[in-house]
Amino acid sequence: MFKFLKVLVKNILQGPATEAFPLQPAKTPDRFRGRVTLNPDLCVGCGICSHVCSGDAIRIIPNEEKTGYHYTVWYNSCCLCGSCTYYCPTKAITMTNNWHNSHKQDDKFKMAEHHFIPYLKCDGCGAPIRLLPPHLATRIYAHSPVDIEKIIRLCPSCRQIATAERQGELNESNPE
Amino acid sequence: MSFLNNIATKSPWLFRINAGSCNGCDVELATTAFIPRFDVERLGCKYCGSPRHADIVLITGPLTLKIKDQVLKVWNEIPEPKVTVAVGICPISGGVFKGGHSIEGPIDRYLPVDVNVPGCPPRPQAIMEGILLAKEIWLKRIEEAERKGVRHVQIS
Repeated sequence: MFKFLKVLVKNILQGPATEAFPLQPAKTPDRFRGRVTLNPDLCVGCGICSHVCSGDAIRIIPNEEKTGYHYTVWYNSCCLCGSCTYYCPTKAITMTNNWHNSHKQDDKFKMAEHHFIPYLKCDGCGAPIRLLPPHLATRIYAHSPVDIEKIIRLCPSCRQIATAERQGELNESNPE
Repeated sequence: MSFLNNIATKSPWLFRINAGSCNGCDVELATTAFIPRFDVERLGCKYCGSPRHADIVLITGPLTLKIKDQVLKVWNEIPEPKVTVAVGICPISGGVFKGGHSIEGPIDRYLPVDVNVPGCPPRPQAIMEGILLAKEIWLKRIEEAERKGVRHVQIS
């Protein structure tokens, strides 16, 4: 009969279920998919993120002098699916758990992240390249005796030539 | 009358318009109000059934061709001063439906939007932030209207 008293006391001790959100910060899980952010040092400009972006939020445009490219993410078109972070080969683009996106209409086009990412020159032929991130290079060349510092500064075709030369030297020194 | 005005400015009433939404944002809007954890009603906001009672209008969806006229009709029935909030990325930019054959949006081509709440769908807390922003704008507009001596209710 007095079961309800038990429930009552429990509820009083438990406190309200409502979060005190506007007065206190809301609880956000660490892996919450909020706005994306780019680490411009790791970006190689392959464009897979803008290719898989379902909301068409990412734009990569090379500048006129071909010295670099403009990388823009517009949060107002991002559907927070996380495809870009999944497909990014260098994990340059990641999601933060920042969901404070509400803004007034005047700021509509300011809700974007913009980076200008400059190209480097290939040590072999001078073609514009982006540096292969060292952590990726150590994984790719884990089982081959190459100087990673040198090979990451080459463009893909020069890297191919370097590999062929290395293989040729190996074959000559050990003909069997 | 000033007593009534003082009470009324504590609680803007909300109205939802679905402009061809996938229903995700509508579910989040319902969650914001009806789940005790978020509970937008403790901020004085309340969903109302008639556009003529509304102060803040929340629009979801990319504004499809088929629903455009009805949305504009309902929006025009809301008395001034009203604040328009675009909830989700669809009304703001077209979102994932951008460039579709039946999409007339983004919604600010047709309506003056005041607050944007991007997300697909936005978190209930993000919607609450947007509503608070809208409330600020709404209070400012009421003050302006009072200074100019305009009557609040003007139904076209």
